[in-house]
Amino acid sequence: MSVKAFKLVSAVEREMLMGDKNYINIECIECCGKNLYIGTNDCFIYRFLLDEKTSTAGKITFAATKQLHKYLGLKKPVSELKAASALTRLLVLCDNTITLVNMMNLEPVPTGARIKGAVTFTLNENPVSGDPFCVEVCIISVKRRTIQMFMVFEDRVQIVKEVFTPEQPCAVAVDGYYLCLALTTQYIILNYNTGVSQDLFPYCSDEKRPIVKRIGRQEFLLAGPGGLGMFATVDGISQRAPVHWSENVIGAALCFPYVVALDDEFITVHSMLDQQQKQTLPFKEGHILQDFEGKVIVATNKGVYILVPLPLEKQIQDLLASHRVEEALVLAKGARRNIPKEKFQVMYKRILQQAGFIQFAQLQFLEAKELFRSGQLDVRELISLYPFLLPTSSSFIRSHPPLHEYADLNQLTQGDQEKMTKCKRFLMSYLNEVRSTEVANGYKEDIDTALLKLYAEANHESLLDLLVSENFCLLTDSAAWLEKHKKYFALGLLYHYNGQDATALQLWVKIVDGDIEDSTRSDLYEYIVDFLTFCSDQDLVWKYSEWVLQKNEEVGVQIFTKRPLEEQEKNNINPDDIISCLNKYPKARVKYLEYLVVERKIEKEKYHTHLAVLYLEAILQLKSVTTDNCTEATELLLKLRSLLQKSDLYRIHFILDKIQGTDLHMESAILYGKLEEHEKALHILVHELKDYHAAEEYCIWNSENRDMQYRRRLFHMLLSVYLNPSTSDCALVMAAVDLLNNHAAEFDASLVLQVVPDSWSVQLLSPFLAGAVRQSIHTRRMTQAALGLAQAENLIYKYEKVKQRGTPILLSDKKMYKPWDVHGQVKEKDSSVVIRGFLWVTDRGGQMERLN
Amino acid sequence: MKKPDGKVVLLGDMNVGKTSLLHRYMEKRFQETVSTVGGAFYLKQWGPYNISIWDTAGREQFHGLGSMYCRGAAAVILTYDVNSLQSLTELEERFLALTDSASADCIFAIVGNKVDLTDDCALPPDENRPEKSVASCSSKVRKQVCAEDAIALYKKILKYKMLDEKDVPAAEKMCFETSAKTGYKVDYLFETVFDMVVPIIVRQKAEGPPQTVDITDYKPAKRTKSGCCA
Repeated sequence: MSVKAFKLVSAVEREMLMGDKNYINIECIECCGKNLYIGTNDCFIYRFLLDEKTSTAGKITFAATKQLHKYLGLKKPVSELKAASALTRLLVLCDNTITLVNMMNLEPVPTGARIKGAVTFTLNENPVSGDPFCVEVCIISVKRRTIQMFMVFEDRVQIVKEVFTPEQPCAVAVDGYYLCLALTTQYIILNYNTGVSQDLFPYCSDEKRPIVKRIGRQEFLLAGPGGLGMFATVDGISQRAPVHWSENVIGAALCFPYVVALDDEFITVHSMLDQQQKQTLPFKEGHILQDFEGKVIVATNKGVYILVPLPLEKQIQDLLASHRVEEALVLAKGARRNIPKEKFQVMYKRILQQAGFIQFAQLQFLEAKELFRSGQLDVRELISLYPFLLPTSSSFIRSHPPLHEYADLNQLTQGDQEKMTKCKRFLMSYLNEVRSTEVANGYKEDIDTALLKLYAEANHESLLDLLVSENFCLLTDSAAWLEKHKKYFALGLLYHYNGQDATALQLWVKIVDGDIEDSTRSDLYEYIVDFLTFCSDQDLVWKYSEWVLQKNEEVGVQIFTKRPLEEQEKNNINPDDIISCLNKYPKARVKYLEYLVVERKIEKEKYHTHLAVLYLEAILQLKSVTTDNCTEATELLLKLRSLLQKSDLYRIHFILDKIQGTDLHMESAILYGKLEEHEKALHILVHELKDYHAAEEYCIWNSENRDMQYRRRLFHMLLSVYLNPSTSDCALVMAAVDLLNNHAAEFDASLVLQVVPDSWSVQLLSPFLAGAVRQSIHTRRMTQAALGLAQAENLIYKYEKVKQRGTPILLSDKKMYKPWDVHGQVKEKDSSVVIRGFLWVTDRGGQMERLN
Repeated sequence: MKKPDGKVVLLGDMNVGKTSLLHRYMEKRFQETVSTVGGAFYLKQWGPYNISIWDTAGREQFHGLGSMYCRGAAAVILTYDVNSLQSLTELEERFLALTDSASADCIFAIVGNKVDLTDDCALPPDENRPEKSVASCSSKVRKQVCAEDAIALYKKILKYKMLDEKDVPAAEKMCFETSAKTGYKVDYLFETVFDMVVPIIVRQKAEGPPQTVDITDYKPAKRTKSGCCA
């Protein structure tokens, strides 16, 4: 429990009031502004001036100086006092009569205005009349079960209403038209304007003194059964849970957000916000507890004391100091309406932040995060708890007064490594969350550097993600940290991000060479190759090209072959330089030439020739070593053939010279083909290789993109090679027959029939013949169709032509149309003329006659 | 403080587990509680509405407060202990009258708590239970109150309120058996009730402030009369 919400300060000591007259007791008190009034049992009223003093240490004391006292002349106690400052009147209840006296000199009003027959009275703090120079007074009358309402003016009183209650009332409070009454057995709400009443709850006034206290607009605080302080609105409902007092509470007062209650021995303080008891102050023999304009005053029979509320901020700080976060926040929120908005916001933010650190220290990270977030914490406050995380260059200084009591994480965790790890993990996730939000604005460097350090230390995979995406890590700080934690690959990334590619590469190369150790990437070599491929700094590429190629020619050459296209267009590295560089690395050289010729289709003779020569040399090299047709050789052969076939740029004779004397017959055939020396080529294919299929293929691909005649010429050439009379190889004859039968369309049948040996049967050539005949018929029909179509088209054009000429021609006797035979018969269509769309002819008499 | 839009009140004899039920629902755990003094209340955000849930004190001493707590309530959860027939009887005899001050369209739920203490609790949900004969129920030694008793009470309440069964939720739907200790059906209970309370809130909002209606429309007649006669 124990929040220190109030401090009890003495205001009027017994000597000031009664000296040594022990029989004098305080009956009632009233406080209005600086005026403190005391009514005694011997019918005196005292007026004191109450001065509040604050010592330099912030301690508040009260000094009361007696102004005057007044004897009312009755031998009865003064039972109640109420000030009406607007009227400068003090209402005094004594001997069942309310009299009006001047607030300052305590003299009765000259008119003698008074209310008679009052047991007790109360003022309406929410008046209904609207007259500022009038107070509304409600009395419990000496008449049984009667309540009376009065309007009290400066020097007169006026009864407004008299209402009757079902039972004898013993206490009353007023709000507007609503009376809250403690009757003999229950509390009720009664609207004196309409007469409507509402039961609240039963209560036995015989056993305990009821308490009815207005605590705000339309809300009352009542003493309930079992020592409860019950809240009730004028609608007869409860909107707050009750507070639990002791059984014998004799007075209650309100000082937001606290309800203060007095019993025989204690003053107890409950919060209206969470109904919890917050403070207990021992106080014996108290019999009055009242609040006056926010000032809570208690009195014994002999002395008056003031409960000075401690500033809310102080209370909240006390709560936070004892780690009671919930309560502190509730209190802070509850205080919102009592503190100016700007001040509140600043205060509340700070409280949230402090609360966040308390939760943090208890490893309640979720709660802490939420509090940091809503308190808009400067993240560096949190980072600064972790040793060495803030960059050395950071200008951050912790806020003063401090938000927490911890020097650093070591102190907070007391060296517990497990806790430390948890805290670090939390900071990681927290920083990662906030780094892209506006919370980070202004100190992104600090956040990212701290995050990098955490990641590096924890060996966290996000370290690389952080470094390859946009970040604000400070170079010197981060570099030192990464080096310390041997995160050399990451360090390279950091250098790269800061534009120091050379340094980055140097590090990475060292890792690959094993000079320094970092197992972050097992494929670091490939990474470097990739990096160089996309590196725009050609000097760097050249610098590391040797190293890369030495490691692996075929992978290494990618730094040249996979460069981005944009770069190639603008800022190309001269391929000749590359080739001369690659001379030491034959495999890489071949790859690079392939890239130039095949991929980029560069049409330069020297590359094509070079590549062909390299292929050739490699094949010959392989063949000299092994006789088997290993896959490598086959692959190379295929590549070579493809190049020889597809490219027209290489130096054919040069290659042919190289190839002669080898067994690369197919290749020489291709080369002869390129030289248009088809007979030679076909001869090789048929006689050397005896690959008839290849021969047919040769005819086909060599005549690609050529006209029909060219193709036929090739096929006829092949046929004559087959049918060469110098050989009588049976296989060749069969090949010839197959050729004819399979490619009937490629031959001129009449020519074929001339060369085919007479000995061949029709049967043998029937597929060829059938094909040839069909082809012939087909050709004829197609030709006819084409002819027909052409004629039709021609006719259409003629018609169009005639139509276009349809301009009128004027005819007269003088202007005869000479070209026509005017005397003879109309012989031909041509002697007609078209005038205005009609066809005319001239007859013998020179008359025009329309024909259509 | 946020102003509640509707009110749900837990009523029932002391020690049946009202506070534990509410605690289980709000905090999702079971905790030994002490006897509630006076009452306590929670605010629960349900959709766009704030529903206040009042936990009342079951002790006889605080009985008089019940009526005030129930005033204007949109739902009353009458709670008993399945191991105490007396606690069910008390609902009818002592607590039902307190609900007179509740909203006219208030809904009622009857909840038998502490099923974890019975042999029955291992059985699947109570949907099966109404089909069982009373005899089989009573054969469970410790469980003193079976679902039929609660349903019978629900029907009595309707009769007392002069409500037609057709106009209100069915008895089977409004009688629950729960265990605050294990959490069995606790969320279901509150969520069912809240879902039913929402239309009442909507209606009350459309009709204007309910409290005003409460006082001026029908309460006064009775009160002023008694005032005059006394």
